[in-house]
Amino acid sequence: MGKRKMNKQNLKAKEPQKPSFVPPFISSLLSMVIPGLGQILARAYSRGFIILASFFSIGGLLAWRIYQKGRRYKEIQTMVEKAFDLSPILLVITILFVLLYIWIIIDAYFAAKKSNRGSRSYGSGLMFFLLAVFFLLGWQIGDINIGEFFSQAGTALPTIGRLMWPWEKAIDRPEEIQIISARVLSPCQEQQIPQNEALEEEPYIIVSPTCGSPTEIDGTSGTEFAIVGGNFNTDQEIEIWWKDPNGNEFRQRQAGEYVKVTPDDEGNFQIAIIMPYRIISSTIEEKNLIWEVQARQLLSVGEAQLSAEFTLAVEKMIETIIIGMMATLFGVILSIPISFLAARNLMSENFFTKTVYYFVRTILNIVRSIEPLIWAIIATIVVGLGPFAGIIALTVHSIAALAKMYSEAIESIDQGPIEAIQATGANWTQTIVYAVIPQIIPPFVSFTIYRWDINIRMSTVIGFVGGGGIGFLLQQWIRLLDYRAAGIAVWFIAITVMILDYVSAEIREKYK
Amino acid sequence: MLEIKNLTKIYDDGTVALKNVSFVVNEGEFLVIIGLSGSGKSTLLRCINRLIEPTEGKIIWNGKDITHIKGEELRCVRREIGMVFQHFNLVHRSSVLKNVMAGRLGYTKAFPSILSKFSEADRKKAMQVIDRLEIEDQIHKRADELSGGQQQRVGIARALMQDPKMILADEPVASLDPVLAHSILSNLEKLNQEDKMTVICSLHYLDLVQRYASRVIGLREGTIVYEGTKSDIRKMTDAQFKEIYGQEAERVGGDLEGTPAV
Repeated sequence: MGKRKMNKQNLKAKEPQKPSFVPPFISSLLSMVIPGLGQILARAYSRGFIILASFFSIGGLLAWRIYQKGRRYKEIQTMVEKAFDLSPILLVITILFVLLYIWIIIDAYFAAKKSNRGSRSYGSGLMFFLLAVFFLLGWQIGDINIGEFFSQAGTALPTIGRLMWPWEKAIDRPEEIQIISARVLSPCQEQQIPQNEALEEEPYIIVSPTCGSPTEIDGTSGTEFAIVGGNFNTDQEIEIWWKDPNGNEFRQRQAGEYVKVTPDDEGNFQIAIIMPYRIISSTIEEKNLIWEVQARQLLSVGEAQLSAEFTLAVEKMIETIIIGMMATLFGVILSIPISFLAARNLMSENFFTKTVYYFVRTILNIVRSIEPLIWAIIATIVVGLGPFAGIIALTVHSIAALAKMYSEAIESIDQGPIEAIQATGANWTQTIVYAVIPQIIPPFVSFTIYRWDINIRMSTVIGFVGGGGIGFLLQQWIRLLDYRAAGIAVWFIAITVMILDYVSAEIREKYK
Repeated sequence: MLEIKNLTKIYDDGTVALKNVSFVVNEGEFLVIIGLSGSGKSTLLRCINRLIEPTEGKIIWNGKDITHIKGEELRCVRREIGMVFQHFNLVHRSSVLKNVMAGRLGYTKAFPSILSKFSEADRKKAMQVIDRLEIEDQIHKRADELSGGQQQRVGIARALMQDPKMILADEPVASLDPVLAHSILSNLEKLNQEDKMTVICSLHYLDLVQRYASRVIGLREGTIVYEGTKSDIRKMTDAQFKEIYGQEAERVGGDLEGTPAV
């Protein structure tokens, strides 16, 4: 041990290296048995240990990945072959690994030789090679597939587009179906029903002839009707429906497709349909077999209004901000007293206060190292899903973070003004009010605003684990694949965070 | 007026700051304490108004032993002794006026002072002091917006608000350039001569000592190694100078009467 320490000092002082323990040839041989051992015995200690550790960790990781890929096969040879087949990069890494092994053996030879010559500079090529193999292995373990990223990006674009520009979903237009109908008699009778007439202003349809027979069950085609329509809205498709004598409505199908027609620029259309097959209840009196042909068009009526998703997002965004604010408020109130217990300059009086100081500090560090998301999960176990769980989680984390920052502000106050105020004959209270508080207010305000900023950011995602707020909504919409609605939530979060970022930076600048 | 008897201060870490220091200060004196950094000047000044608790010895203020007084008694003694600091020790974020008013805390009850409620007389007094020190244009500025010389004037104004019988000045000009140093010291000199306030001041530069001191005490490693009057210091020899400032020290004050610069 002592010897190694001395050697380290020698290295630092750049003194010539002592000769290797073993001749170059033996060194090479040793590295063949245990890679790195030769280098260690050639007094290239750190190099040897790095080689030893990396060689075995690379070997271990490689074996693990090969086993992962080919574990369905019992025989080792087939397992390896299958693994190489499935993931050719493993073959490349294996080849490099063998090369690495050979390089290490050669390196051991030269390391010993150089040590004997008193030099302590070894090439860094091997180290770069080690790193390269390591990261290549990382590439395989990380399942990195750049090609997929680019090839799939195209198909993902529409979805991303909905996410990025979701505003169509923000507005709802109340719609109404306009039904224009014409009557048809079936079967034909002597007494005809009058044909509709073309109207000047309102939409109309004229069906001719005004009587016919439906398609039979054996496939005999029904009467072909010609429908002429006018004064329809030009921007919406028209669907053709039937209302049978029973009063049931159904859509006209032709060759398996629903019949749709788009009006021309004047709002006129023309279409031919074949009267479909329909079972008519026998209770209907023969005389009144009046059918109705309908042209249905979707019309927007009334003012456009904000969609349900949009208003829900607004509500939840408000809830989110409130969660962040409440957590900050509770955090500030609870962390101020704790911060005094965690300030070294106030707590170094005696053994007891020092113990309290270390105890509080340790607890704060533990609480702070647990993410708010974990705290939220714990809180939901206690109080169930909802904003209260989020508030608890953020409060706990805020207390720990703020108490630490506040206590550091207390620790760094300038003793000078305190001394000066005391010298005027001020009592304890006056000293605190005149010398201590003016010094800690600016950092306290600054840290509080910073925390408020963090809490609102955090409250946007705390809903992912059930802590209420917009995160809950966002997660739901993503799972329902409603990317437009999710996009609205994302936009709200982004806007809020941007505003917050600006405001908090401005306020903190003022209190520097 | 003030008598220091066998004063010793040993800090918790074992540093001996003052060793058996005794001297007397008479009313109206401008006593200057010289010595290297760490020689115990600051400790000595802070022992006088008990910002630092002495380990042994006595401090007698106007015939009264104030070494162990506490609470209201200590408060009443402290307000009679103004203090000025090297780094001014103003509350940076408070206004000049508030810093000056703080000098009146020793006379104000705790509750009104928390609400910054000072009497009309106190306010008038503050304006007079501020006028006298020529900082009337700065009163609403934050203390850290002022230059060093102005900050030290605020420090003096704060001390004057106490109606002090004595002013302790701990290296009041060490953070200032020579021109400002003279201006601040002449402020103190005026107080000494016109208002008959006793001044105890620690200084570094010998030329300033010669110009302002009516009496000088030299401290080295916590003991008094030199004591002399104004005329004594003009005749100070290199040997005496080195006794205070150490063998390697060179005189910074330039030519002194009768002795060439080293």
